[in-house]
Amino acid sequence: MTTDVEYVGRLHGLDPERIHWEPRQYGGDGEKSLIALTPNLQSADLSIIASKVRLNARNSVKTWPVDRVLTAIDQTVARLLDRSHPVRKKMEHLLPIVTGYDEEMVRIGLTGYLKTFRKPQLQRFITEDFPNPGILDKFQPLVKGGFGRAFGPDLLAHVWAGNVPGLPLWTLIAGLLVKAASVGKVATAEPFFAGWFHDVLAETDPELAKTIALVWWQGGNTELEAGLFREADVALAYGGDTAIAALAAQAPASTRFLAHGHKISFGLIGREALDPSRASSTARKAAYDVVRYDQQGCYSPHVFFVEKGGAISPETFGTYIAQSLASYEEKFPRRPLSLAEASSLVEWRMAEETRLGGKVVEPCNGNWTVSIQLQDRALRPSGLNRTIRIVAVDDLEETPILSKPYKTLIQTAAISATPERLFNLASMLGEVGVTRVTALGDMTSPEAGWHHDGRFNLLDLVRITEIEARAETAAEDLASYAD
Amino acid sequence: MDEAEVVSKLLTFIENKNAVEADFDQMALSIFAYQFEHNLPFKKFCLARGKTPKTVRHWADIPAVPISAFKTLDLTCSSPTSAEATFMTSGTTQGGKRGKSYHPTLAVYNASMRQNFLERFMGNREKLKIGILFPPPVAMPNSSLAHYLELAKQYFGSEGSSHFVRSNGIDYERLFHSLEDAEENGVSYGLLGASFSFVHVLDEMERQGRRFQLPPGSRLLDTGGFKGQSRELELDTFYDALQNAFGVSRANCINMYGMTELSTQFYDNGNAVCPSVKSGPHWIKTRVVDPLTGSSLPKGTTGVLAHTDLAHFNIVTTILTEDAGVEVDEGFMLHGRVSGAEAQGCSMAVDEFLISAAAN
Repeated sequence: MTTDVEYVGRLHGLDPERIHWEPRQYGGDGEKSLIALTPNLQSADLSIIASKVRLNARNSVKTWPVDRVLTAIDQTVARLLDRSHPVRKKMEHLLPIVTGYDEEMVRIGLTGYLKTFRKPQLQRFITEDFPNPGILDKFQPLVKGGFGRAFGPDLLAHVWAGNVPGLPLWTLIAGLLVKAASVGKVATAEPFFAGWFHDVLAETDPELAKTIALVWWQGGNTELEAGLFREADVALAYGGDTAIAALAAQAPASTRFLAHGHKISFGLIGREALDPSRASSTARKAAYDVVRYDQQGCYSPHVFFVEKGGAISPETFGTYIAQSLASYEEKFPRRPLSLAEASSLVEWRMAEETRLGGKVVEPCNGNWTVSIQLQDRALRPSGLNRTIRIVAVDDLEETPILSKPYKTLIQTAAISATPERLFNLASMLGEVGVTRVTALGDMTSPEAGWHHDGRFNLLDLVRITEIEARAETAAEDLASYAD
Repeated sequence: MDEAEVVSKLLTFIENKNAVEADFDQMALSIFAYQFEHNLPFKKFCLARGKTPKTVRHWADIPAVPISAFKTLDLTCSSPTSAEATFMTSGTTQGGKRGKSYHPTLAVYNASMRQNFLERFMGNREKLKIGILFPPPVAMPNSSLAHYLELAKQYFGSEGSSHFVRSNGIDYERLFHSLEDAEENGVSYGLLGASFSFVHVLDEMERQGRRFQLPPGSRLLDTGGFKGQSRELELDTFYDALQNAFGVSRANCINMYGMTELSTQFYDNGNAVCPSVKSGPHWIKTRVVDPLTGSSLPKGTTGVLAHTDLAHFNIVTTILTEDAGVEVDEGFMLHGRVSGAEAQGCSMAVDEFLISAAAN
């Protein structure tokens, strides 16, 4: 048995000797396990940490050109992509223990994910929100006249949730790009990734790393949550509706509170993708989206609406997906489920099986489930953990989901159809709340610079200071060279 | 086999205290064949899993029906309209849908209750003065617990036994008078009811500054636990409080574990030590399983409980519960409910979707 010990939290401004560290075990008994040492923090500690990183940012990143930040992130990510780097090795070794995900899936997932944060991608990320990135450094001429400059928050608070490895990177990097100091509360389900990123950033640009602090407490500690939000100009939170509502209640009116709630995603598969030469590869891509992180992502599919009238029927297509899931199971086994997860999956499967026109396909070990529904066309969630609903529809354009506004509940839709239908369906989907349309097989890897939940990742964080054209003119009058 | 034959064989089997594992197995397989033939939704369920009377060779191979199926399927071998009783779950989950168990006759249920209760609660004595902290069957005709407690009173209650819960709540005055009377006259008392009703009684006794010292031979029976109630107590706190309030030692405070989806109950041998070990009579068997595969887990491993209750002959004998537990010598220990899983990531779980969709 090998047991590693890792500290959770990066507490700039506090003396680690003074902190009481409590152990928390990850991984099963008898297998490989990991002890996390978590800090026991008080509200006053948060104020000290916040002041320290705020000061550090004021003395460093706030005075730098954004290009220096890009370079530092790029070099950090390059090290994390290098499989011989000690921190990368640690990630590959420990993340499967912490999250239960298959080692190979974590390794491939890390590389695929990290490479979306290299310099060219980061430039695209910035340009999405700031066509002239110089606006983050200096006043830049505005189209309407005058000049403008974007100022990031003095302190950005993050509350991360869930076990999808790497999730904190999105908002951590967004914070760095707008030159904010950050205090991030890591998730109990995966509390390590953000710290490891911090450590490698400290190798490439120590001053920049000192603008990021990481903290932890058991979720629901309203005193600490309120303490964190009081210090922040902008707060970003992930979680389910209940958790988000509870967090929002702790944020003062002066703190801009931005939330990413839990979401449902799905796919639309047209009859043109269901001819004999294409159907198996369509099914393989669809299954891949299901397998990636066992559907725990907001972009993970719960349902594929499959059109009737193709050479391959929706029912047969369901069996193709079943075959693909079976072969992925060989390659990337599903993570072990808790009793509660397994038990709720049994309940979900029973409900699917007893629906009129419903049929369930699965292996004896129950490691994946395909529910084929020929009559029930409603949008219903999957049971998660490699369970997918295949819903037969006469025409994609008639899919019931298109007629009901789901507003904040839905996120990504994968479309497999002709170009004309892609645009037509996308506008219908946009109207009911979909914020991202992508290809099958790409659902779980959003592009660099995507608008997460339809929002502006960077613009939402900053405030713009404008010099109006009239101020410029008035100043001209006072110039030494004025007549 | 027809229904009359199944009932008659079962009544004999329940009485046969010398029945061994092989007898149970044989009885279970013949009832499985009966249910496979007469209970169509169950037959469909079995066929989807490749299980038929030809392929099932041992009682442990009978596929366990998840209790959620009792809410959506009419699981019965006989016509629901001719049932002598229909027991339903309380319907606090799944949008108020209630799980149903149809009983064409209560003869087997009653025989199962009577013999098991006599042995496990009465300690083979014939009568006790019985007080019941639960409404009578007339007030709750679909409650299996109301029926069970009524049977306890009818079969084993001496004169003066009574229900103390009416539509407007617990009748504390009459209850305390009845307990005082037993105390003064040295009559052994059996107080039975829902766990949360005991909590209300404890609260009221504390408010009134009352305590009882029930005579030797008295016993308490609670059932149902505290989930979803206004107050949840630690088991040790609860049984300490009972012992202190009624003068009945924790060893004589019995907890009954039963379900609407069964016709047989489990008991412990008192709660001197918690959690206690539960066990049932020879016509019910429990396996601790992996809920996804239904296969038995090694002794000592926590899993989900699956019960095979031969007395539940009209519905299905074998159910998959949502209760976690572990097999130990002499029975199993309960580890609470396993439902209500949340998504680990930022995707949405079924329950959360239902709530959010309703709000949208």
